[in-house]
Amino acid sequence: MLALRGAPLVLCAVVFVVFGLLAPRFLEGANLVNILVQSSSTAIVAIGMTFVLLTAGVDLSVGALMFVAAAVAGKLALGGAPLAVAVVAVVGVGLGGGLLNALLVTRLGIVAFIATLGTLYVERGFALWLTETRAMNLPESVLGLGTARLAGVPLPVVILAGILAAAHGVLTRTPYGRQIYAVGQNLEAARKAGIATGRIVASVYVVSGVCAAVGGLVSLAQLGAVSPTFGTAKEFGAIAAAVLGGTSLFGGRGQVFPGTLLGAVLIQTVENGLVILNADPYLYPLITSGIIFVAVLLDSAGTALLASRSRRRIRVEDAPVPGGPARHRADPDPA
Amino acid sequence: MTAEATASRPSRSGLRWGRLLLSDYAVLVLSAGWFVGVMPLAPGFATWENLANLVGGMLPLLVVATGQTLVLITGGIDLSVTSTIALASVVGARVMSGDSGWLGGSVLAVPAGVAAMLAVGAAVGGLNGAAVTVLRMPPFIVTLTTMMFVSGFAIWWTQSRNIGGLPAGFVAIGARTLPALLVALGVAGAAHAVLTRSLAGRWAYAIGHNPRAAFISGVPVRRVTLLVYVACGCGAAVASVLYTGRLEAGSPVHGQRILLDVIGAAVLGGTSLFGGRGTVVGTAFGVLFLGLLDNSLNLLNLSHFTIMMTKGAVILVAAWMDTVRRRLDTA
Amino acid sequence: MIACRGIVKRFGGVPVLRGVSFALSGGRTLGLVGENGAGKTTLMNILGGHYPPDEGRMWLGGVPYVPRHPQDAARCGVAFIHQELNLFGNLSIAENLFLTAFPTVGRLPCIHRGNLRRRAAALLEEVGLSAGPDTPVERLSAGEQQLVEIAKALSLDARLMIFDEPTTSLTRQETERLFARMGQLRVRGLSLIYISHNLEDVLRLCDDIVVLRDGEQVGGGPRAAFTVDRLVSMMVGRSITRLFPARAAPVSAPPLLEVRHLTQPGMVADITFTLHRGEVLGLAGLMGSGRSELARILFGLDPFARGEIRLAGRPLRPAPRRSIRRGLALVTENRREEGLCLEAAIADNLALVTLAAHARGPFGWLERAGLRRAIEGVRGAVRLTPTAPDAAPASTLSGGNQQKVVLAKWLLARPAVWILDEPTRGIDVGAKSELYQLISDLASEGTGVLVISSEIEELFGLCDRILVLSRGEIRDELARDAFDRERVLRAALGERPRPGVLS
Repeated sequence: MLALRGAPLVLCAVVFVVFGLLAPRFLEGANLVNILVQSSSTAIVAIGMTFVLLTAGVDLSVGALMFVAAAVAGKLALGGAPLAVAVVAVVGVGLGGGLLNALLVTRLGIVAFIATLGTLYVERGFALWLTETRAMNLPESVLGLGTARLAGVPLPVVILAGILAAAHGVLTRTPYGRQIYAVGQNLEAARKAGIATGRIVASVYVVSGVCAAVGGLVSLAQLGAVSPTFGTAKEFGAIAAAVLGGTSLFGGRGQVFPGTLLGAVLIQTVENGLVILNADPYLYPLITSGIIFVAVLLDSAGTALLASRSRRRIRVEDAPVPGGPARHRADPDPA
Repeated sequence: MTAEATASRPSRSGLRWGRLLLSDYAVLVLSAGWFVGVMPLAPGFATWENLANLVGGMLPLLVVATGQTLVLITGGIDLSVTSTIALASVVGARVMSGDSGWLGGSVLAVPAGVAAMLAVGAAVGGLNGAAVTVLRMPPFIVTLTTMMFVSGFAIWWTQSRNIGGLPAGFVAIGARTLPALLVALGVAGAAHAVLTRSLAGRWAYAIGHNPRAAFISGVPVRRVTLLVYVACGCGAAVASVLYTGRLEAGSPVHGQRILLDVIGAAVLGGTSLFGGRGTVVGTAFGVLFLGLLDNSLNLLNLSHFTIMMTKGAVILVAAWMDTVRRRLDTA
Repeated sequence: MIACRGIVKRFGGVPVLRGVSFALSGGRTLGLVGENGAGKTTLMNILGGHYPPDEGRMWLGGVPYVPRHPQDAARCGVAFIHQELNLFGNLSIAENLFLTAFPTVGRLPCIHRGNLRRRAAALLEEVGLSAGPDTPVERLSAGEQQLVEIAKALSLDARLMIFDEPTTSLTRQETERLFARMGQLRVRGLSLIYISHNLEDVLRLCDDIVVLRDGEQVGGGPRAAFTVDRLVSMMVGRSITRLFPARAAPVSAPPLLEVRHLTQPGMVADITFTLHRGEVLGLAGLMGSGRSELARILFGLDPFARGEIRLAGRPLRPAPRRSIRRGLALVTENRREEGLCLEAAIADNLALVTLAAHARGPFGWLERAGLRRAIEGVRGAVRLTPTAPDAAPASTLSGGNQQKVVLAKWLLARPAVWILDEPTRGIDVGAKSELYQLISDLASEGTGVLVISSEIEELFGLCDRILVLSRGEIRDELARDAFDRERVLRAALGERPRPGVLS
């Protein structure tokens, strides 16, 4: 049972071992840090996505929101605004985008898939308007953020670690976090138990929005430019990372640590390993998607097994049924 | 019309206008209103040339959205349609191309090429369907991974290069309005007929409504589900024929940006993401509306971003209307 | 502690509780018994704040008790231990216990894990559950989960705990453990209400007993005044109305459905019976006795490990499509979930089973005129309300008419054997009598009908023969001239029939 649940993690280990054996350079410290840096943006977005998936929802608008955040930050940086202002603005963008989704899902009762699909368009359009549909090259100061180090640790990794620690703490250590799991497991039972389900569901979209915006900023700092396709299809990468880390699309199951982090790192690891092996870059998506497929297959097989185990039984075979046949007696009967 | 459609069709009992806006015809009404409203604003809009262009641009979308409608009706989803378009496009081009194609120059080039494209669609659809029915994986994630894989495969195989030199006979199917119109209407008409008049169609609705009840009533749930994914894949392949012809080249990125349009058009046309509800006619209205929107906003010299934002807002409004309609139905 | 006086509740004008009164002081246990549908659940829902009584008053701890919703009841210290548990399997025991009242670190929104574990462990100790507080609930057995529910009730400072059929999914050992815990709760001064079909358990556990029948309180008093026999006769003493059509018993008809030694571990054991042409065979038993499970196995929805099923002399390997082809029809107990496509049109629901028969050619085009004629015909046959248009969703119909749609869709397939699982559940009396007529007609046309019902007099009115199931086994078999409520109830409660009655 546990082996099945942990299948995605086992898969991660397998990938590490395989690449490690094929290319010793792969396991060097510098490369491992490099993998972390490269995966930080996706991981941050995927952490927010995990919150949403835990409630059995989905947020397709994260890629577009990354774009908005990057465009806003870029505009401010080009306008000479101080960094702090840009950061505050980015968080504000995330809050706004998240609240919009929360409103559509909880107040108007629109299915999460369609609601966030709609906001995807709206936000991408908004960002295109901000950038005037042109690539925006940023001053060195912004790019410096991507390569800056805090106590020897690259800044993107520091930000990732901070968000990861906060998210993990919230999910595992706060009443709110545990109630998210309850809501995702059984919305109706959670409501009956007295949990404010509407507020919980709304909040996860806000979390996802803020994570997406910050992820956009981190990505911007590494790329140094905002192109019109910034953040495109990132929503799928984030969902894939979360699912790969063992988060269920049906809610109630998943962790940001190690789960989602490993998922995001795994995707990046595969890419990184393939680079080191000098593989054809066009092969990357093939291999990545193959691995995700296997992980999901194992996960759904595990879920099906769990479901069949939890079926209610009528006959309790060890019970001494009053007047029942002797073979069902619990205590050993010499006769 | 299926009984499903007639159930919510207001014409029979002559319901009020408010109901019309919440009916399956809402989008058609909106389209007509939009058309009339835009005519005076955009001088080039109501010309034959533009309308032909508008229709030509809509047709591939109609075909692929029709296939998607079938899957949505059974309560599934297929995110891999756009990748299927891309892969079918490059496979077809590899077969037919006069420059480098395997059958380049042969009389068999066009039929073989189209057959290969359809085979690609059927194969991807079959893969999705098998994963959903046999392996019982969630359709969303299955088709998400096939989307990544198939698209990745198309790009890797062609090393991200377009393949030109397609036979004129093939290009004509997609590039000229009339043949494209015939193909698209043929596919949509066939799908409509299957949904409303055939056993498989009625079974598909039943599965979408209640797979348990359908199974107990003797509906071959797995077989029908597999079939709709295959049909959806084939729909994407036909759309690929039109796209490839229209752009006169096989490209591994064809259709990449229309995925959300495809699902949006179906949902706008009244197809429910929960299954059991949807018609090809409604989807066609959705396609018409999105096409009209795109085309007219372009002509109005509005920027790309306005188009996107309008589209997003329109999808949200349509989804909200669907939610309200559901509440009215269950009340 | 808790007192009720003159509780009356009506649903749609039909009284389901007609003046129930009892009082229960602290440290005592009240047993509540009655047949299915006697009003026990309604009474509990009123106590639990799900809906108010139409008449009558309640007091809790000496003050008037007027719960407006379930949370109100919980705040007042009324806790329920249901047969179906409301726990979250993905969370730990401790988290389930304190889900809405986590101990925190000071006033920070941070769970004080040490505190949580300690308090949970203390509660678990109290209920005698040896599992650690961090164990995920989904790893616990049903009995252990039951104890978690009790611990949860304790954590809410419950003064009144209501146990609704808590032992149905427990082993005997677990049941004994539960009873021991209940004894301790009593010593602590809690009041308990215990609802069960197991009358011996009731007599053993409870200080006072209330007997309900048809919403009426037909008896009550201290345990000493009751015996199992007396309880049974009080529970059933009711006369049959002429709700049922008169029908002649079939004379030695040939066998139609033969079931031999059908066994599925955990579900049913060694089921053997024969259904004859033109016969209505009843399956009696309590909820969870394996009746519905047997029906599902026969139709092919669930597997079986051993045994044989023969239909019209030939072996049947059941699977829905094959079963239907061979002439089996299954009307499930939950028509909303498994019987109907609620949002689909009435006509589509009617056509579903027999659609394939109207398909022509390799593409399966439907021959719609014939389909329409068939639907028209069957609507008349089941007397479906003529005001509902074919295109209206099935959800717009009343329960009785919905059930007619389910029967009609199978009727079109002209089955040889009907399996009807609770065919009249939630249906008003008028529609019931129409359905009885229909079932009777089916039998006189030569089909075999297997009826599952929780209402004994429904089975007595309809059936030629009744099998009684308990814990997945056939306990007794009664022919029409030997129909006896007490005997059915005894067998359903798991008592061994008198020697020689099992044929």
